[in-house]
Amino acid sequence: MATTADVVIVGGGVVGLATAYTLARRRMRNIVVLERGYIGSGATGRCGAGIRQQWGMKENIILARESVKMFEELDGELGFNTFFRQGGYLILISDPAEYDLISGKIPLQNSLGVPTRMMTRAEMAEFVPGLNLDGVVAGAYCPTDGTCYPYAVLWGYAEAARRLWVDIRVKTEVTHVAKRGDGRFEVHTPDEIYETPVVINVAGAYTRSIAAKLGIEIPTEPHRHEICVTESLKACLEPMVISLKKGFYFSQSMRGEIIGGIGDDHEPSSYSTASTPDFLFRYAAALRETFPALGRARIIRQWAGLYDVSPDARPIIGGVDGMPGYFHACGFSGHGFMLSPMVARLLAELIIDGETSLPIEDLSLERFAKGEAVRDPYVVG
Amino acid sequence: MSKTILCHCEDIEVEELYSALAQGFGDIETLKRYTGIGTGKCQGKCCFIQTLRLLAELAPEGSVYSGHMGDIHSIRVPTLRPPVTPLRIDDIVEERGDE
Repeated sequence: MATTADVVIVGGGVVGLATAYTLARRRMRNIVVLERGYIGSGATGRCGAGIRQQWGMKENIILARESVKMFEELDGELGFNTFFRQGGYLILISDPAEYDLISGKIPLQNSLGVPTRMMTRAEMAEFVPGLNLDGVVAGAYCPTDGTCYPYAVLWGYAEAARRLWVDIRVKTEVTHVAKRGDGRFEVHTPDEIYETPVVINVAGAYTRSIAAKLGIEIPTEPHRHEICVTESLKACLEPMVISLKKGFYFSQSMRGEIIGGIGDDHEPSSYSTASTPDFLFRYAAALRETFPALGRARIIRQWAGLYDVSPDARPIIGGVDGMPGYFHACGFSGHGFMLSPMVARLLAELIIDGETSLPIEDLSLERFAKGEAVRDPYVVG
Repeated sequence: MSKTILCHCEDIEVEELYSALAQGFGDIETLKRYTGIGTGKCQGKCCFIQTLRLLAELAPEGSVYSGHMGDIHSIRVPTLRPPVTPLRIDDIVEERGDE
């Protein structure tokens, strides 16, 4: 005997829980979230927790800007402290070509209401004492970018969703999904079969595997990205500091830890989340070069998570032609957490209203087949 | 109840563990992240064993330990992460071991 649901969400990460909450807030009921591990056990709980609006494409800037507006209100909305802190993002610029690219995008960001500005070396030295500016020609700084504690966002969304009768099932893997002749979906878990008119596939790097069960091909690839934290230190770093060129970033959490990571261009696609010494060597070298005093800090923990990388490093959001009732959001390429509140709102609009308040056609799965994919130059890692 | 420190690095009391359990944060991985137990300098070397003992005491009754894995067989330490002991960034860069 199947259990009937109005919506089944596959994936208990931030996108899944935010979408469940948003749908429930808009008075949808009988919402079930199926999570294979524990809440946030995938990419959300492993992420670098940065939230930025400095992007090179208008659509990405707007998506991020709207998410930041929602993060600013999230504690009150959810009744949960998410530790959102707007310390800004400081992008270190290391050569003239990068200077031209990044300074050239600031008018676009400003015109969309994102208050980015260029910083001279002298301003940067004053703003972040301790930064080594050798080889840095300038910076780009947006004061309303910031960081958050991802688990607090997850728990906040989960608790708020449960108060609205959302059924969140952890340790519950989806083993099979099928579209029936009557147009409804069957979602199988080891113990249950859910029958539902709406499936939302938001399983991070595993979204493509779930889609494949329905014959939908999603051209994303899993890529391991490693991260580590130091012991807690006194407050010494206001912004998130990043280098687009090195794929390197670090920030200080509300607990005082320095948390950061560095990408690896040679990392092959895989589902491995093992930690490597090679990462520690590369990260330690980059961190000490950028902020020499942190050489005396000790790293206490490292881990890894999966980026779900799409061909143009932009998200894939929406439905699929010929599959009414099916929706997905994936391919965030390392930037899903920062966009999640707005992505949840757009998915809820798409499902309830049939149209979205921002155009998302350029984020459709079909763009790859049509050859319309455009890459944003502001991708890290 | 008197205050008993469970995690010395992060200054977390036994009561905070009970409070987290009562709020439904029963999964050991979630307990670690919600309370902060085992996330300090010792990375759980001092506190995980005490945490497991408390969970084992509570689990058979099923009253307080009402989390998602509420049976004694599911009680385990959270995933252990490298490095085994804290490593200074200077030492990593210079490829020095423990001193």
